[in-house]
Amino acid sequence: MSDFARAIRFQPVHLVIVGLILTVFVVGAVHSERFATLTNVSNIQDQLVVLALVALAQTVVILSGGIDLSFAGMLGLLTVLFASVAGGDPAVFAAAVVGILTLGALLGAINGGLIAFTGIHPLIVTLATSSIMAGVALLHSNQPSGSVALFFEDLVYARLFGFVPYGTIYVLAAYFVIGFMLWRTQFGTRIYAVGDDERAAAISGVPVRLTKLMVYSLSGLIAAMAAIYMVGRFGVGDPRAGVGFDLRSITPVIVGGTILAGGRGGVLGTLLAVILLILLRNVLNFLNVSSFYLWIVEGLIVIVAVSLFAARASK
Amino acid sequence: MNGLALRLGSTATVRGRKSRELLLLTGFLVVIWTVTGILSPRFLTPQNLSDILVQAAPLGFVVIGQMLVIVMRGLDLSVASVMATAAVLSTSTFDNTGGVFVVGILLGAGVGAVNGYLVAYRKVTPFLATLATMIILQGIRFAYTGGAPGGSLPDAFRFLATGRIAGIPVSLMILAVVAFAAHWMLERSVLGRQFMLYGDNPAAARMTGLPVNRLVVLAFVISGVMAALGGLFLVGYVGIVDNWTGRGYELDSIAAAVIGGASLRGGKGSVLGALLAALILVSLFNIVVIVGLSIEFQMVIKGVLILLAAGVYLRSSRA
Repeated sequence: MSDFARAIRFQPVHLVIVGLILTVFVVGAVHSERFATLTNVSNIQDQLVVLALVALAQTVVILSGGIDLSFAGMLGLLTVLFASVAGGDPAVFAAAVVGILTLGALLGAINGGLIAFTGIHPLIVTLATSSIMAGVALLHSNQPSGSVALFFEDLVYARLFGFVPYGTIYVLAAYFVIGFMLWRTQFGTRIYAVGDDERAAAISGVPVRLTKLMVYSLSGLIAAMAAIYMVGRFGVGDPRAGVGFDLRSITPVIVGGTILAGGRGGVLGTLLAVILLILLRNVLNFLNVSSFYLWIVEGLIVIVAVSLFAARASK
Repeated sequence: MNGLALRLGSTATVRGRKSRELLLLTGFLVVIWTVTGILSPRFLTPQNLSDILVQAAPLGFVVIGQMLVIVMRGLDLSVASVMATAAVLSTSTFDNTGGVFVVGILLGAGVGAVNGYLVAYRKVTPFLATLATMIILQGIRFAYTGGAPGGSLPDAFRFLATGRIAGIPVSLMILAVVAFAAHWMLERSVLGRQFMLYGDNPAAARMTGLPVNRLVVLAFVISGVMAALGGLFLVGYVGIVDNWTGRGYELDSIAAAVIGGASLRGGKGSVLGALLAALILVSLFNIVVIVGLSIEFQMVIKGVLILLAAGVYLRSSRA
């Protein structure tokens, strides 16, 4: 495999998704003249930031053979804490960002530690910690509260060249860094090795437990990035900000060609799948199709994608 | 012969471990009830205790199916969606009691069959198969109701969920019958042995010539039917049909199954354990309110309990 192909883990499914994205885009453009406008294109980008980030975190975890269902609680807790610590004061903003990123990584490390050192199934561990974090978030503040420096909100709402929100750059940077990490670093190789076959990885000298710990810690860190963006976008910290993201974060990963069993896939597919799903939602809105039908479409996409990959994997 | 002897031997230790777990769960329940009883005189009244039992009944139905799927190395994320859809469909299509049950249960069985087909024949991971049917069903339900469910609950059905005969809640009698049948099936029948063998070692089950695919489908169908029943009893208890009836039950039922001794690695789980765990969860929710803690503590307690239980069982199964 060439370095480039390995970096992005290019798969035929990526072409399929790009084709679908183009199709959906053309359908939208034909049906509404307001669809292919700069305003709408920047709106779409705004809408995909949070999903793109949590799906990125989920991709890394799934590649390692695990799963992280803690975003529901974690996003709520992190946004509430960030908004209450940062407040409207620009002076403490940087410190608050560093603090919340550290906290995210630490919470993730707790998940990772429990998973790596107790042997309890990742699904059970993250389900439990999610419930705890959601409870703590609601205990801290029962309703959306806190605030953030105005300059940050301005930044989140600003657009480069009139149609590229800074959120997009934030997302691309995160995907680039993580993609590079998976491609070029020893840590990345270890993630694939652990996801592919844990025992084989251990025998060949991969520190499996440490790798898992770091994977979940990284997942928490990326969730904190999403939380910071959410606070900038909404201007407050919402203890329920994460509701639904536990399961929503998984769909793009799977549709993007990463195998739930671990060890195969990559971040490019996830990003493309996020774009496809958000675009689909946007176009259906323009077509006046109720978002109820979007659920049906999403579920069918998952089934088609998964049975396709399952059939290929068994060959 | 050696293999058989090994299996018999391990069955004996499994029995021992299982009864230890049941003892542990019962002990835990007694302790939290006693402590709360001392803290609050309102808790240990027959009225409150029977309220807790009735509240726990819907989760009791759901967790029986969930536990069975988990025994089979699966997971059913679609149960909450089945609960709500069964409730919405049956209350809007029929106004007589028989119809309510038939429509809801058929729906549950149908969704379970789809889940089972995807898992057994299309080799889709249970997690993803049931995640997909959950979302699709949610879409169908909202499209069908236009976002606002109508219809009314038949009185007879209200009676099944909240009524009493000779002081005993009807829902508990029905749950007891269903639970007894499930317990007997899993512990005493050939079918139950086959479920356990598959969960323990799918490859061995296949080589023994068991109809493994059909077993998987059957487990999911049972889970779907139990979820539908749970949904019908839940709306019967609450008295209002809602598109989000049963929200959170997918995770609560998994939590209860795990606390009750089921392992996501398969081959392990019991009806009694699952029901005790459901009762513990609902008791704790009730206790949080009675003791005057803010309701968010429920979530914290639930999380801690799941971790504790999973950790304890893992340790005991290694020892």
